[in-house]
Amino acid sequence: MRIPCPYCGARDASEFAYLGDATLTRPDPAAPDADEAFHAYVYLRDNPAGAHSEWWYHSAGCRRWVKVARDTTSHAIAGAELAGGAR
Amino acid sequence: MTSALNTFPVTQMPADGRYGPAGTQGVSVRVFDPPALALLAARRGGASALTVAAHATLGLALADTPRLTRANGLATIGAGPGRWLVLAEAPEDLAARLAPLAAHAAITEQTDGYVGFELSGARTRDLLAKGVTVDLDPAAFPPGAAATTNVAHINVTFWREPGDERFGFLVARSYRVAFARFLIASGAEYGIAFAHRG
Ligand SMILES: [Zn+2]
Repeated sequence: MRIPCPYCGARDASEFAYLGDATLTRPDPAAPDADEAFHAYVYLRDNPAGAHSEWWYHSAGCRRWVKVARDTTSHAIAGAELAGGAR
Repeated sequence: MTSALNTFPVTQMPADGRYGPAGTQGVSVRVFDPPALALLAARRGGASALTVAAHATLGLALADTPRLTRANGLATIGAGPGRWLVLAEAPEDLAARLAPLAAHAAITEQTDGYVGFELSGARTRDLLAKGVTVDLDPAAFPPGAAATTNVAHINVTFWREPGDERFGFLVARSYRVAFARFLIASGAEYGIAFAHRG
Protein backbone atom coordinates (compact mmCIF):
# COMPACT_ATOMS: atom_id res chain seq x y z
CA MET A 1 0.00 0.00 0.00
CA ARG A 2 1.28 3.45 -0.95
CA ILE A 3 0.10 6.53 0.93
CA PRO A 4 0.01 9.87 -0.93
CA CYS A 5 1.78 12.23 1.46
CA PRO A 6 0.83 15.81 0.51
CA TYR A 7 4.46 16.94 0.93
CA CYS A 8 6.54 13.90 -0.09
CA GLY A 9 4.36 12.20 -2.70
CA ALA A 10 3.28 8.54 -2.81
CA ARG A 11 5.28 6.44 -0.34
CA ASP A 12 5.23 2.87 0.91
CA ALA A 13 3.15 2.34 4.05
CA SER A 14 6.30 1.09 5.84
CA GLU A 15 7.50 4.72 6.02
CA PHE A 16 4.51 5.60 8.22
CA ALA A 17 3.40 4.86 11.77
CA TYR A 18 -0.32 4.20 12.25
CA LEU A 19 -2.33 5.91 14.97
CA GLY A 20 -5.91 5.11 13.99
CA ASP A 21 -9.31 6.79 13.93
CA ALA A 22 -9.02 10.49 13.00
CA THR A 23 -12.66 11.27 13.76
CA LEU A 24 -12.36 11.02 17.55
CA THR A 25 -11.73 13.98 19.86
CA ARG A 26 -9.67 13.60 23.00
CA PRO A 27 -12.03 14.02 26.00
CA ASP A 28 -11.76 16.87 28.46
CA PRO A 29 -9.73 15.53 31.40
CA ALA A 30 -11.44 18.03 33.73
CA ALA A 31 -14.96 16.85 32.91
CA PRO A 32 -16.88 15.00 35.66
CA ASP A 33 -17.21 11.88 33.46
CA ALA A 34 -13.55 11.96 32.36
CA ASP A 35 -12.78 8.41 33.55
CA GLU A 36 -15.54 6.84 31.47
CA ALA A 37 -14.91 9.15 28.54
CA PHE A 38 -11.21 8.27 28.43
CA HIS A 39 -11.99 4.55 28.75
CA ALA A 40 -14.24 4.82 25.71
CA TYR A 41 -11.71 6.99 23.83
CA VAL A 42 -8.77 4.67 24.43
CA TYR A 43 -10.37 1.18 24.35
CA LEU A 44 -13.83 1.21 22.76
CA ARG A 45 -12.77 1.76 19.16
CA ASP A 46 -14.93 0.90 16.14
CA ASN A 47 -13.54 -1.38 13.48
CA PRO A 48 -15.27 -0.07 10.36
CA ALA A 49 -15.42 -2.01 7.09
CA GLY A 50 -15.27 0.54 4.28
CA ALA A 51 -14.57 4.26 4.32
CA HIS A 52 -12.39 5.36 7.24
CA SER A 53 -10.49 8.47 8.28
CA GLU A 54 -7.13 7.71 9.88
CA TRP A 55 -3.97 9.31 11.25
CA TRP A 56 -0.65 8.20 9.77
CA TYR A 57 2.69 9.68 10.88
CA HIS A 58 5.28 10.01 8.10
CA SER A 59 8.19 9.11 10.33
CA ALA A 60 10.64 8.27 7.52
CA GLY A 61 9.77 11.29 5.37
CA CYS A 62 8.55 14.77 6.28
CA ARG A 63 7.86 13.90 9.98
CA ARG A 64 4.32 15.23 9.73
CA TRP A 65 0.97 13.68 10.68
CA VAL A 66 -1.24 12.96 7.68
CA LYS A 67 -5.01 12.45 7.78
CA VAL A 68 -5.81 9.75 5.23
CA ALA A 69 -9.24 8.76 3.84
CA ARG A 70 -8.87 5.03 3.26
CA ASP A 71 -11.29 2.21 2.43
CA THR A 72 -10.40 -0.54 4.91
CA THR A 73 -11.74 -3.28 2.64
CA SER A 74 -9.85 -2.31 -0.55
CA HIS A 75 -7.02 -0.03 0.72
CA ALA A 76 -8.16 2.50 -1.88
CA ILE A 77 -7.17 5.98 -0.69
CA ALA A 78 -9.55 8.82 -1.53
CA GLY A 79 -7.41 11.66 -0.17
CA ALA A 80 -4.79 12.81 2.31
CA GLU A 81 -4.04 16.09 4.06
CA LEU A 82 -1.42 17.33 6.50
CA ALA A 83 -2.55 17.68 10.10
CA GLY A 84 -2.56 21.33 11.06
CA GLY A 85 -2.26 22.47 7.46
CA ALA A 86 0.77 24.36 6.22
CA ARG A 87 3.23 25.92 8.65
CA MET B 1 29.43 -17.44 -1.53
CA THR B 2 32.21 -15.17 -0.37
CA SER B 3 31.97 -11.42 -0.68
CA ALA B 4 34.59 -8.72 -0.35
CA LEU B 5 32.38 -7.25 2.35
CA ASN B 6 32.99 -10.33 4.51
CA THR B 7 36.56 -9.13 5.03
CA PHE B 8 35.43 -5.91 6.75
CA PRO B 9 33.91 -5.74 10.22
CA VAL B 10 30.33 -4.46 10.09
CA THR B 11 31.46 -1.59 12.30
CA GLN B 12 34.11 -0.33 9.86
CA MET B 13 33.82 1.52 6.55
CA PRO B 14 34.78 -0.67 3.58
CA ALA B 15 38.17 0.11 2.09
CA ASP B 16 38.46 2.45 -0.87
CA GLY B 17 38.80 0.50 -4.06
CA ARG B 18 36.95 -1.27 -6.84
CA TYR B 19 34.39 -3.98 -6.18
CA GLY B 20 32.91 -6.35 -8.74
CA PRO B 21 34.02 -7.91 -12.03
CA ALA B 22 37.30 -6.68 -13.49
CA GLY B 23 37.01 -4.22 -16.35
CA THR B 24 33.57 -2.89 -15.43
CA GLN B 25 32.62 0.35 -13.73
CA GLY B 26 28.95 1.15 -13.69
CA VAL B 27 28.82 3.20 -10.50
CA SER B 28 31.19 5.55 -8.72
CA VAL B 29 30.73 6.43 -5.02
CA ARG B 30 32.48 9.28 -3.23
CA VAL B 31 32.04 9.53 0.55
CA PHE B 32 32.42 13.00 2.04
CA ASP B 33 32.02 14.90 5.29
CA PRO B 34 29.65 17.84 4.77
CA PRO B 35 31.75 21.05 4.88
CA ALA B 36 28.96 22.60 6.97
CA LEU B 37 25.34 21.54 7.49
CA ALA B 38 22.41 22.91 9.47
CA LEU B 39 18.68 22.34 9.81
CA LEU B 40 16.40 25.34 9.40
CA ALA B 41 12.91 24.89 10.92
CA ALA B 42 10.38 27.70 10.63
CA ARG B 43 8.79 28.80 13.87
CA ARG B 44 5.05 28.22 14.17
CA GLY B 45 3.27 30.36 11.60
CA GLY B 46 6.58 31.82 10.46
CA ALA B 47 7.32 29.98 7.22
CA SER B 48 6.40 32.87 4.94
CA ALA B 49 8.36 35.40 7.03
CA LEU B 50 11.34 33.02 6.99
CA THR B 51 11.12 32.66 3.21
CA VAL B 52 11.11 36.44 2.78
CA ALA B 53 14.03 36.94 5.21
CA ALA B 54 16.11 34.15 3.66
CA HIS B 55 15.75 35.74 0.25
CA ALA B 56 16.40 39.30 1.44
CA THR B 57 19.41 38.59 3.68
CA LEU B 58 21.06 35.50 2.14
CA GLY B 59 19.69 35.36 -1.40
CA LEU B 60 18.22 31.91 -0.76
CA ALA B 61 15.07 30.73 -2.54
CA LEU B 62 13.38 28.45 0.01
CA ALA B 63 10.79 26.39 -1.85
CA ASP B 64 8.32 24.67 0.49
CA THR B 65 8.62 21.45 -1.44
CA PRO B 66 11.13 18.56 -1.57
CA ARG B 67 13.63 20.25 -3.88
CA LEU B 68 17.28 21.30 -3.80
CA THR B 69 18.17 24.85 -4.82
CA ARG B 70 21.60 26.49 -4.76
CA ALA B 71 22.67 30.09 -4.21
CA ASN B 72 25.73 31.85 -2.77
CA GLY B 73 27.59 28.66 -1.91
CA LEU B 74 24.65 27.07 -0.09
CA ALA B 75 22.29 24.28 -1.12
CA THR B 76 18.89 24.19 0.56
CA ILE B 77 17.00 20.91 0.54
CA GLY B 78 13.32 20.75 1.50
CA ALA B 79 12.98 18.17 4.30
CA GLY B 80 9.36 18.76 5.32
CA PRO B 81 6.83 21.60 5.48
CA GLY B 82 8.72 24.62 6.78
CA ARG B 83 11.98 22.65 7.21
CA TRP B 84 15.18 22.74 5.14
CA LEU B 85 18.63 21.22 5.36
CA VAL B 86 21.27 23.82 4.46
CA LEU B 87 24.47 22.33 3.02
CA ALA B 88 27.50 24.56 2.43
CA GLU B 89 29.91 23.93 -0.45
CA ALA B 90 32.95 24.94 1.65
CA PRO B 91 33.71 24.95 5.39
CA GLU B 92 32.18 27.97 7.11
CA ASP B 93 30.48 29.08 10.31
CA LEU B 94 27.01 28.27 9.06
CA ALA B 95 25.27 29.11 12.35
CA ALA B 96 26.71 32.61 12.16
CA ARG B 97 25.72 33.04 8.53
CA LEU B 98 22.16 31.87 9.23
CA ALA B 99 21.86 33.90 12.46
CA PRO B 100 19.87 36.70 10.76
CA LEU B 101 17.09 34.12 10.30
CA ALA B 102 16.90 33.19 14.00
CA ALA B 103 13.82 35.32 14.61
CA HIS B 104 11.90 33.18 12.12
CA ALA B 105 13.48 29.72 12.45
CA ALA B 106 15.16 27.29 14.79
CA ILE B 107 18.69 26.71 13.47
CA THR B 108 20.35 23.44 14.44
CA GLU B 109 23.99 22.74 13.60
CA GLN B 110 24.23 19.27 11.95
CA THR B 111 27.69 19.22 10.36
CA ASP B 112 28.94 16.20 12.33
CA GLY B 113 25.55 14.45 12.27
CA TYR B 114 25.60 13.34 8.66
CA VAL B 115 27.89 11.79 6.08
CA GLY B 116 27.49 12.52 2.37
CA PHE B 117 27.62 10.06 -0.54
CA GLU B 118 27.93 11.16 -4.18
CA LEU B 119 26.78 8.53 -6.65
CA SER B 120 27.36 8.69 -10.39
CA GLY B 121 27.72 6.40 -13.36
CA ALA B 122 25.57 4.76 -15.99
CA ARG B 123 24.25 2.03 -13.65
CA THR B 124 23.48 4.26 -10.66
CA ARG B 125 19.72 3.92 -11.03
CA ASP B 126 20.02 0.14 -11.39
CA LEU B 127 21.81 0.10 -8.04
CA LEU B 128 19.29 2.42 -6.40
CA ALA B 129 16.36 0.37 -7.71
CA LYS B 130 17.38 -2.25 -5.14
CA GLY B 131 16.63 0.06 -2.24
CA VAL B 132 14.77 3.21 -3.26
CA THR B 133 10.97 3.05 -3.57
CA VAL B 134 10.72 6.53 -5.10
CA ASP B 135 10.32 6.75 -8.91
CA LEU B 136 13.72 7.98 -10.18
CA ASP B 137 12.81 8.29 -13.86
CA PRO B 138 14.01 11.76 -14.94
CA ALA B 139 10.43 12.64 -15.88
CA ALA B 140 9.32 12.05 -12.28
CA PHE B 141 12.56 12.94 -10.46
CA PRO B 142 14.42 15.59 -12.49
CA PRO B 143 17.61 17.42 -11.44
CA GLY B 144 16.93 19.27 -8.20
CA ALA B 145 14.23 16.85 -7.06
CA ALA B 146 14.84 15.62 -3.49
CA ALA B 147 13.31 13.07 -1.13
CA THR B 148 13.60 11.93 2.47
CA THR B 149 12.88 8.21 2.61
CA ASN B 150 14.13 4.83 3.80
CA VAL B 151 16.70 2.89 1.78
CA ALA B 152 17.45 -0.62 3.06
CA HIS B 153 15.86 0.44 6.39
CA ILE B 154 18.24 3.43 6.58
CA ASN B 155 16.74 6.92 6.60
CA VAL B 156 18.29 9.18 3.96
CA THR B 157 17.76 12.54 2.32
CA PHE B 158 18.84 12.54 -1.31
CA TRP B 159 18.53 14.52 -4.52
CA ARG B 160 19.38 14.34 -8.21
CA GLU B 161 22.19 16.57 -9.45
CA PRO B 162 22.20 18.09 -12.94
CA GLY B 163 23.92 15.92 -15.53
CA ASP B 164 23.81 12.23 -16.23
CA GLU B 165 22.81 9.92 -13.39
CA ARG B 166 24.30 11.86 -10.49
CA PHE B 167 22.75 11.74 -7.01
CA GLY B 168 23.72 13.13 -3.60
CA PHE B 169 22.80 11.44 -0.32
CA LEU B 170 22.95 12.54 3.30
CA VAL B 171 22.96 9.68 5.83
CA ALA B 172 23.06 9.88 9.62
CA ARG B 173 26.69 9.33 10.60
CA SER B 174 26.02 6.23 12.70
CA TYR B 175 24.42 4.54 9.65
CA ARG B 176 27.22 5.34 7.20
CA VAL B 177 28.79 1.86 7.35
CA ALA B 178 25.44 0.13 6.80
CA PHE B 179 24.70 2.44 3.88
CA ALA B 180 28.15 1.90 2.35
CA ARG B 181 27.64 -1.86 2.60
CA PHE B 182 24.23 -1.55 0.92
CA LEU B 183 25.85 0.40 -1.94
CA ILE B 184 28.68 -2.08 -2.45
CA ALA B 185 26.50 -5.18 -2.11
CA SER B 186 23.96 -3.73 -4.57
CA GLY B 187 26.45 -2.18 -6.99
CA ALA B 188 29.17 -4.83 -7.20
CA GLU B 189 27.52 -6.65 -10.10
CA TYR B 190 27.88 -3.47 -12.21
CA GLY B 191 31.41 -2.72 -10.99
CA ILE B 192 31.60 -0.05 -8.30
CA ALA B 193 34.43 2.34 -7.47
CA PHE B 194 34.25 3.31 -3.81
CA ALA B 195 36.36 6.14 -2.41
CA HIS B 196 36.48 8.85 0.20
CA ARG B 197 36.65 12.38 -1.16
CA GLY B 198 39.91 13.90 -0.06
ZN1 LIG C 1 5.68 13.08 4.06
